[in-house]
Amino acid sequence: MKKFVAPLLVAVGFGITGVAGAATDLPDTMEKPGGFPERPISMIVPYGPGGGSGQVARGMIQGVLDHSGIVVNPDYKPGGSGMVGLKTYMAAPADGYTVLEHIDDATSAFAIGKSDIHPAEDLIPLVISQITFSQIYIRSDETRFTDWDSFVAYAKAQDGKATIANVSGEGSMERINMNRTADHFGFKVQQISFDKGGPRYGALKGGQVDALFEQPGDVRGFLESGDFKPIVTFLKERPSAFADVPSMTDVGLDFVPLMRFRGFYVHKDVPADRVEYLKWLFQKAYHTDSYLAFNKQKFMDLIPSFRDTEGAKMLINDTMEIYKQVYKDMGLVN
Amino acid sequence: MEQFLAGAVTLVSNPTSIMIFIAGLFGGMLFGAIPGISMLTLGAIILPFTGNMTATDAIMLYSVIYCSGVFGGAITAILFNIPGAPENAPTAFDGYPMTKQGMAGKAVGAAVLCSSFGGTCSAILMMSATALIADWAISSFGPPEIFALVVFGIAVASSVGAATVWKGWLSVLLGLLIATVGLDPVAGIERYNFGFVYLLAGIHFIPTILGFFAVSEVFIQTEKSAAGTYQAPKVNLDFPSFIDFWRLKFAVLRSVVIGFFCGILPGIGATLAAFMGYNEAVRWSKHPEKFGKGELEGVVSSETANNAATGAAMIPLLALGLPGGALTAMMIGVFQMHDMEPGPLVFVNSSELVWVVFAAMFFANISIFFLGWLQTKTVVHLLRIPFHFLAPAILLIATVGAYAVRGLVMDVFVMFAAGIVAFYLRRSGYSVAGIILGLILGKIGEQNFAQAMQMMSYDMVPFVSRPIVAVLLIAAGLTLFGNLVKEVRQIKRSSAA
Repeated sequence: MKKFVAPLLVAVGFGITGVAGAATDLPDTMEKPGGFPERPISMIVPYGPGGGSGQVARGMIQGVLDHSGIVVNPDYKPGGSGMVGLKTYMAAPADGYTVLEHIDDATSAFAIGKSDIHPAEDLIPLVISQITFSQIYIRSDETRFTDWDSFVAYAKAQDGKATIANVSGEGSMERINMNRTADHFGFKVQQISFDKGGPRYGALKGGQVDALFEQPGDVRGFLESGDFKPIVTFLKERPSAFADVPSMTDVGLDFVPLMRFRGFYVHKDVPADRVEYLKWLFQKAYHTDSYLAFNKQKFMDLIPSFRDTEGAKMLINDTMEIYKQVYKDMGLVN
Repeated sequence: MEQFLAGAVTLVSNPTSIMIFIAGLFGGMLFGAIPGISMLTLGAIILPFTGNMTATDAIMLYSVIYCSGVFGGAITAILFNIPGAPENAPTAFDGYPMTKQGMAGKAVGAAVLCSSFGGTCSAILMMSATALIADWAISSFGPPEIFALVVFGIAVASSVGAATVWKGWLSVLLGLLIATVGLDPVAGIERYNFGFVYLLAGIHFIPTILGFFAVSEVFIQTEKSAAGTYQAPKVNLDFPSFIDFWRLKFAVLRSVVIGFFCGILPGIGATLAAFMGYNEAVRWSKHPEKFGKGELEGVVSSETANNAATGAAMIPLLALGLPGGALTAMMIGVFQMHDMEPGPLVFVNSSELVWVVFAAMFFANISIFFLGWLQTKTVVHLLRIPFHFLAPAILLIATVGAYAVRGLVMDVFVMFAAGIVAFYLRRSGYSVAGIILGLILGKIGEQNFAQAMQMMSYDMVPFVSRPIVAVLLIAAGLTLFGNLVKEVRQIKRSSAA
C-alpha cells in the first residue's frame, strides 16, 4: 500500500500546487463563437440549494454574471448521492447551454462502479473552483477529551462505541479518510451519516455524537462562536488559519488525504469552440472579486483551489487512482 | 418587549423594508399555493438578488416568505384537493371533504385563522427564549428520540380515513414500503430501483400526494359526471364562528405545542408538524371516525401546527446556525452572502437584524389573517367554475407541479400512477392519507432509526433506556392496543346486530 501511495503523494501534491496560476494568462475578453451563448445557460446542480454545492454554484453564477453579464440559471437535481443530477445532465443536449456542477463524488462513484461516467473523459472540466481539506471537530466544552491524543485514548477505551458524525455512505471521501485514520491508531469508531448539515452539526452541538468530520468552511460559524474546535487537520502541513491544530504529519498519519473538490463541467460532445469559450468564461469568473471573496469566506483560500481544465483532469485522475486502490484494499472492487 | 418595539419601528420606518415585507407576504402566498412551485422555488429564484439588499432586509424577506408560504398551500388543498406543499397535505384530508359538503368557506376560514394564530404564538415563543429552547432541543432530542416520535405518529395513522383498522394498517404499510425505494440511508445501497437511475432518489412525496389527492379526485368526479351523479360543491362563504373555535380550543393549543416542538428539531420542520398535529387530533378526539370525512378539527390541527413550526424553525437557525429545512438552509446562504454566519454571535453582533426579523414574522402572521379573510371571500368563488373546465385545469396544474419539483418526467408518471392506484384504493376503503403518512414518516423514521442504531452500536437496550424514547414507544404501543380493542369491539357489535 505504501509503495503505491508514495508516487501519488507526489502527483497529488503537484496537482495542488503546480497548475494554480494558469487562469491569469487568459485574455480579458473573448469573442463569442457564432454568437454563443444567445440565451441564458442552465446549470445542473446535483444537490440541494442549501449545501456546499448549491452555495458554490451560486457563487460561480454570480462570478459569471459579474464578469460577462451572462445569466446562468441553477437547476437543482438532488438525489442518489449526485447520480440523478449527473445522469440528467448526460441526457441533456450537448450544445453548451447546459453545464454541470459536481464534486469528488462523481470520481469516487466511477471508481467504485456506481457510475459509468468518467468526470475527466466523458466530461470536460471547465474549472475546479474549490478544493478543501477536512478536519475532526469536538465541542469546545468537551471534558472527556480535549485534543487529538486524548480523543484517540477515549476512542480506544470505548471499544468501538465512540461516534463521529459525517456525510455520505461507504466508500465516500469522509469514510475512507476516517477508516484509514482509525486503522492507523488501532481504534474503531461508529461513523454516523447525516445527509443534512443542520442535523449533523446539531448532533455534535447537542452531544449526540462525540466528534464531527467536516470541512472548515462549512462550520465556520461554530468555529467563530467557539462552539467547536478542530483537533486534527487532514493535510500534511498546518494551514495558516489553523496553525495551532496538529496536521496529519504531526500526529503520525502518512496516507495521502482525500480532498473535497467542487467544479464545473460540460459534455465532451459540446462543440470545441463553445467549450473553449465556456472554459474562459468560468475560469475568469473564478477570478472575479465576488467569487474570490466567497471562496475566502469558506476557507477556500488556505490551499490553492483553482484548477484549469488540464489541472482538473490531473486532480481527477490522481484521485481516481487513489480511490480505486483503496476500494481494492477494502475488497469493494476487484 | 423593548427590543421587539425597536425592531418593529426599524421595520415600519423604512419604506424599502415595508415594500420587501409586502412582496414577501404575497410572493410566499402565491408560490405556496401552486403545487410543486413552492416557496423554495421563490427562495431559489430571488437568492442572487438578495446580495443587493441589506442583510436585515434579505433575512426578513425569507422569514416572511416562510410564514406566508406555509399557509399558501392550504387554500388549494381545501378547494381542489391539491396541497400546495407537503405540509398542507393533512389539511386536504378534511378540508376537501368539507368543500364537497358545501363548507369551503368554513374550512378556508379555519385554515386562515389557525395559520395566523399558530404562527403568531410561535413567533411570540421564539422571541421569548430562543437560545434556551434551541439548546434544550438539540441536547434532548437526537435520532433515537426522533425515531420514537415517528413511531408514535405512525401508531395513530391506521385510524385515519380507512374503513377498518386493518385496511388502515395496510395503507400505512404501503406508504412505508414506497418510502424504501431509492438509496438506503446508511450504506447507500440501491433498493427497488430496478436499474433505473432516477429511482435512486426515491419516490418523491409531492408527485405522490398530487396523484393520490388531485388526480384520483378528478377521476372519481369524472366517473360521477359520466354517470350523471356529479354534484358541484355549494359555494359557501361563511366564516367559522367563535363558538366553532372555542369548541376546538384544546386542539388548537395542542397543535401549537406540537408544531412548535417539531419546528425546533433540526431537519424536521413543518411537514412532520402538520402530520403530528393532525394525528394527535385524531388520537384525542371522541369521534376519530369522523376524521378524513370533513371534520373541522382536522383542518384546524394541521394548519395550526404547520404554521407554529415556522417561528420555531428560526430558533435553531438563529441561535445555533442549524437549518431545520430547505428554506432555512437557504437563509444560511443569505447570511453568508452578507459575510455573516447565523449562530450565537448573531444575537450579540446583529441584534437589530434579529429583532427586525422577529417583528416581521409576527406581523406576517397577523397579516395572514386579514389577507386570508379576503381570500376566503374571493377565492372560494373558483368553485363556481364548471367541473368540465376545472378538471383539465387541475390536471394541468398538478402535472406542472409534479414536474417542477425536480424537473423529472418520471415524477409526472409517478403522479398519474398514484392517481390510478388511489382511484381504486379509495373505493375499497383504504386510506390515501395513511399511505402518505407512511411515506413521509417512513423516510424520516428510517433515517433516524439507522442513525440511532449506529449511535448505540446496534444495541437495543441503551436505545430503549433513553427516557423520552421509552415514554414515546410505550405511548405508541398503548395507542395500537387501544385501536385493536376498539376494532374487536366493533366487530363483536356488528356480528351481534
